[in-house]
Amino acid sequence: MIWKRTGAILAVGLVAAFVLPHFLPPGLSDWVTRLATLILIAVSWNMMANAGLISLGHSGFWGLGAYSAALLANAFHIPFWLSIVPAILLGGIFGAFLAYITGRLRGLFFAISTLATSEALRVVALMVPKLTSGAEGVFVYDQLRPDRITMTTFSLCLTAVAVAVSYLLLRSRYQYALRAMRDSESAAQMLGVNPARFRIGVTTLSGAMAACAGVISVWYTGYLDPGSAFDLKVTISAQIAPLFGGLYTIVGPVIGSIAVMALSELTRLYFNYSGGVGLLVYGGVLVFGVLAMPRGLVGLWERWTKRASKEPSLAAGAK
Amino acid sequence: MLGLTLQILVDSLLLGGVYTLMAVGLSLAFGVTRIINFAHGDIVMYGAYAAFFAFVGLNVDPLLSLLLVAALGGIGGYLLFKLTLDRIIESAGINQVLLTFGIGLVLQNVAVILWTGDERSTTPSYAFDSWFLTDDVIVAKGRLIAFILAAVFVVLLLAWLRWSELGRATRAVSQNRAAASLMGINVRAMYALSFGLSSALGTATGAIMSFLLPITPFMGFPILVKAFAIIILGGLDSVIGTVIGAFFLATAETTIGYLVPQGIGWAEGVAFFLLVLVLIARPTGILGTVGREA
Repeated sequence: MIWKRTGAILAVGLVAAFVLPHFLPPGLSDWVTRLATLILIAVSWNMMANAGLISLGHSGFWGLGAYSAALLANAFHIPFWLSIVPAILLGGIFGAFLAYITGRLRGLFFAISTLATSEALRVVALMVPKLTSGAEGVFVYDQLRPDRITMTTFSLCLTAVAVAVSYLLLRSRYQYALRAMRDSESAAQMLGVNPARFRIGVTTLSGAMAACAGVISVWYTGYLDPGSAFDLKVTISAQIAPLFGGLYTIVGPVIGSIAVMALSELTRLYFNYSGGVGLLVYGGVLVFGVLAMPRGLVGLWERWTKRASKEPSLAAGAK
Repeated sequence: MLGLTLQILVDSLLLGGVYTLMAVGLSLAFGVTRIINFAHGDIVMYGAYAAFFAFVGLNVDPLLSLLLVAALGGIGGYLLFKLTLDRIIESAGINQVLLTFGIGLVLQNVAVILWTGDERSTTPSYAFDSWFLTDDVIVAKGRLIAFILAAVFVVLLLAWLRWSELGRATRAVSQNRAAASLMGINVRAMYALSFGLSSALGTATGAIMSFLLPITPFMGFPILVKAFAIIILGGLDSVIGTVIGAFFLATAETTIGYLVPQGIGWAEGVAFFLLVLVLIARPTGILGTVGREA
């Protein structure tokens, strides 16, 4: 059942990825690429949050993926689609490493250490110019960059796979272990779940996904420097979309990403790129989301449908 | 060689004072409420802007306006806590992280919209002054002032925590919420009070930073991560631990800055490497008692 549904999600996603971009006007196609990237990183963040791991270091995975793709593509002229392989490997290995070394840390302390590792990576990228060209940044070899339609297809494919994987994980029996870890890792351990295994597994998957998002972005923009690769904004958007859509759910990150993208387009329309407004809105969404709708849009929808289905019976009872 | 050693020592000491200022407010608020305030850096930033406008508009020295700035910061922090954090104090840690993170973003970008990203700074005469301790050892006057103020703040804070009624209540809440509540202490009120005090310390720090660092809306984040590293190094709920952590980080950064080629750039990363190392090796920090289960 789960496998069938996962297959269905994957199939629909892939078909859409190969058909849709041909019918989209250029502006919209760019928008879809950025949306797919956001969904990818939001799904990845949500997966870790689901196991109680608050990541503030998603820009670290993102940056690693982007740098590995750009540098290898420049050095060996590998095509864009192949560059996700080193990125996935590096993101996954770094995720496993991070989960392993922070094995004793919970909640806040895990969050802070992820923030610190991502900042540490930024400093390294800045200080090893022989490898990364430092603050000057890297331009991706232009002839290797795919055209607009291929770019959109590429990003949608990766996102479809990510959503399918997250569906598989959050609908399989492992979801109970993850949920138990979220409430209390020690209690989960007492029940025979090995938190270390799940922690490393989830972080590896999540890291690999976030690294893919970095790959898309570097091929999309064609340029990379330490500041933009390990930008805190990546982490911010990775957490804002799931929160807005609905934490710990499968559709939450997807809906949340669409809503956040729409919101940022609207602010752009009204405030014309003027600095600060976009991030101000993000911050406002975070504050409002936590205080007023902690279960996100999905939670609102559930409450609404429940009320709608209850009302007739209430009316009948009143008679 | 002696000169260099002495200079490193002096610089470490003075930088340690600056770092103590950055971290002590964060540590106080965490010790009591068990919430890590991701907006603390931005609160410092508002203090710096307040001191800047007092300096430019009213020609008031930052060291004078500091008192008013701290008072305003305290009230602002208290209100902020009452309006937002108070409502989710019992909910899961992730909500608190996201909320304070969001508040930080809002504060930062309101500053961007109001005052743009331009760099400013207050320019009292002592900001550029320095003394020659010996022929080749320099003491920057601005940092010395920061050092002295840091010492004053820490002593006042410790005295308050130790001897005043409210201070004792604060420590009681920090040690055991339930027991404190049973002793008739209004735990919620202590949370708000300590958060307000933490903000007051933060904005006062900002007023001092206004002549040490360029003031921009983005100055908060680097201050925040440094403060994280410091309180984790020292142990999250201990004021003395925070001081030790601050001087430890300052010494490490200064030494690397002087002795390693391109050290100034690498020194920026020392905080993060130390932070990760400490979290792995000694999760309770140097003096802390909190386990890492929060």
